[in-house]
Amino acid sequence: MTAVLETRDLTKRFGGLTAVNHVDLVVPERVIASVIGPNGAGKTTFFNCITGFYTPDEGTVLFMGEPIVNLAPDQIAKLGIARTYQNIRLFGAMTAIENVLVGHHPRMKSGVIGAIFRTPGTVMEERQAHRRAMELLELVDLRDEANTLASNLPYGAQRRLEIARALANEPRLLLLDEPTAGMNPNETAEMTEFIVRLRNQLGLTILLIEHDMRVVMRISDQVTVLDYGTKIAEGTPAEVQKNERVIQAYLGAAAVGEVN
Amino acid sequence: MQEQSQTRKAINAGITFAVILIFLALIGFTFTGAELLGDIVGLDVQLRQRQMPSRDTITAYAMFVGIIGLWMGLRAGRPDPERSDTWVRAALLGVLAGIVAGVIFGLFLILVGTFAFNGVDLRKQLVAMSVEAVAMLTFGQAPIVGAAIGTGLLAVTGAIGGLLGRGIGRGAWRESVSAWRERATDWYQGLPITRQIRRSRISEVILYAVLIGVVLFLPTILSSYWNYNLGTVGIYVLLGLGLNIVVGMAGLLDLGYVAFFAIGAYTVALLTAPQPHALNWSFWAALPVGIVLAMISGILLGIPVLRLRGDYLAIVTLGFGEIIRILSRSDLLTSFTGGPRGVRNVAGPMLFGTPFNNERQFMYLIIAGCLILIFVTSRLQSSRVGRAWMAMREDETVARAMGINTWKYKLLAFAIGAAFAGLGGVLFASRNQFTGPEDHNLLVSINVLALVIVGGMGSIPGVIFGALALKGLPEVLRELDTFRMLAFGALLVAMMVLRPEGIWPSKRRRLELELHEEAAAIEEALPERLTPTPGGEST
Repeated sequence: MTAVLETRDLTKRFGGLTAVNHVDLVVPERVIASVIGPNGAGKTTFFNCITGFYTPDEGTVLFMGEPIVNLAPDQIAKLGIARTYQNIRLFGAMTAIENVLVGHHPRMKSGVIGAIFRTPGTVMEERQAHRRAMELLELVDLRDEANTLASNLPYGAQRRLEIARALANEPRLLLLDEPTAGMNPNETAEMTEFIVRLRNQLGLTILLIEHDMRVVMRISDQVTVLDYGTKIAEGTPAEVQKNERVIQAYLGAAAVGEVN
Repeated sequence: MQEQSQTRKAINAGITFAVILIFLALIGFTFTGAELLGDIVGLDVQLRQRQMPSRDTITAYAMFVGIIGLWMGLRAGRPDPERSDTWVRAALLGVLAGIVAGVIFGLFLILVGTFAFNGVDLRKQLVAMSVEAVAMLTFGQAPIVGAAIGTGLLAVTGAIGGLLGRGIGRGAWRESVSAWRERATDWYQGLPITRQIRRSRISEVILYAVLIGVVLFLPTILSSYWNYNLGTVGIYVLLGLGLNIVVGMAGLLDLGYVAFFAIGAYTVALLTAPQPHALNWSFWAALPVGIVLAMISGILLGIPVLRLRGDYLAIVTLGFGEIIRILSRSDLLTSFTGGPRGVRNVAGPMLFGTPFNNERQFMYLIIAGCLILIFVTSRLQSSRVGRAWMAMREDETVARAMGINTWKYKLLAFAIGAAFAGLGGVLFASRNQFTGPEDHNLLVSINVLALVIVGGMGSIPGVIFGALALKGLPEVLRELDTFRMLAFGALLVAMMVLRPEGIWPSKRRRLELELHEEAAAIEEALPERLTPTPGGEST
């Protein structure tokens, strides 16, 4: 069975800085994979290489076995990779449901002519899209806020709306960039559960960047650790936790002695 | 502290309105305003040379001052939501504002009155300050008496305004009205017939039918002068609707919009006029060609600027607009475009063998154009295409990550906007039977952009009101003569200060502004929640 996502030898440099350094990663289907690492380890750059916002200098990215390195971001999104952002980036002046509908954009077809004349096909498509959007809002518990402007939603709701928007893409691979950033322990626990549910119920493959170690250790099937752009460890949460280089990267060289 | 701020607010209102009143007097609008009021209530308002102003004139003028006073009182007496003010206090605040305004305005009256009545001709410096006009300003009395009358009038109307302001601002009154309204709504929504109407959306249809009926009926009662002016307004509505798609919906700041207007106008001109090409096409054949050519040029302009955003985009498009105008008047192309003299005898449309040769008939053509474009715009706005544009305006990077091909949608916005402008250009040239380089200067682009902003970005009624304000108002203000543009500018500034969201903003924009303060308050209350998260990388 081919992996949903595979990167081979992926490298991205900014001038003299190598932000992502020869990273190999394989994410099989229906797996929750985490990428962790200290600040500036190149995690978000890694995401941007996958989603097509950066062209990697070396290496390749395969999605369902096909190379996607030279595709534009919107083409990659259309193939079924959806993402959220570390600092929430919703369309603030649009309502919650409109945000979700924008997420559904690549799964719709109607254009200008259909819109002007409201052809039966367009009307049907719009109706289905609205129904789908409402279901997704229901899923993230925002059904009652469908017509609220995204910028007026509370913080936690914005995080959930961003996920609903990504899900509207009907993705095969969901990239979550620090989904629990800025959340309190309660909200974090809820979000963690929600992510697991997405995998179990919708059969999604999920790749997430996360800082909160408790979240990572609890839900990940596999963990990849980046430090200065280089993969320094990979394995199950338990394996990674014991890895000396990981402890060193996180706590500094001095801490290793103490642990030992 | 509270006490002081309320009093200060009243004094400020007084000063502001005194300045407004003096400004209006200086540009002669006090007379124009009085004239308008006189027309409404049936007073004969006029100023004749070497005659004291008539009683009617003074009455109308006093009414005008009174209205200003009421407005001032409303501002001054608007209650503090945190305090329970008494009616007496509200009235007193109105009186206070009135006295302040009256004293300042009175000083102005004494000043101009003393000069004017002692034989100094103020008109050399201040065109509107003829002796007769000053006599009207002082209520036909000596300057000091006039000042006293003015102060009294402003104080009384200020008090009334203050009471009104308290009434409007009071929560209880508002609540009772909204409760009453709710009950009424519940009642008629409960009626079986209403339910039926709602289901079939008949009410909406009737509303539109009535509106369209009024619009169609209007040209028949208007003079050809007003039909001409409203026709210009209509053409600017067409342009505004197009730019509204480009700027208001897709968020692309285009300052060269006039280029497409020019291409539409020149296409119909060159194809139908006997000079310089003698092609003599009919209007109806040239119309689609003009629209399509404008559309193609919109795409051609769009391609090189796809990667540009914001200011850069504005500058490049600005250049494009100027290039078209300069080309149209260049010596090189004189044999093709008619050069600086333009193209004459542009054909008018014929329908069933009858030519559209007067303003009234042409007005109907423009109205038809407006209705079609309004329909198209509103359909686009609520579609997948409209959402893609809005998403692009909000955050282009994220829009791409959501699978929106931003290049395609940018070109689409440019093309549709340009097609609208092309239609505007075709109608404009055909109605005037002429087009030349000076019809297509930068001011057109600026005017259209201004009307979109003044009306309210992204809103269709906003475009209509914006066009009325920007192209209609200067015609109304024509009576002010020399000070026309000054008054116009002041009105625009006032409009943007009083209603920064535009005359008729789109629903979402209104929501945004109303909830802005609330959101800010919430953010302040939760600082720790919104501090930057660890790992400050971002796209």
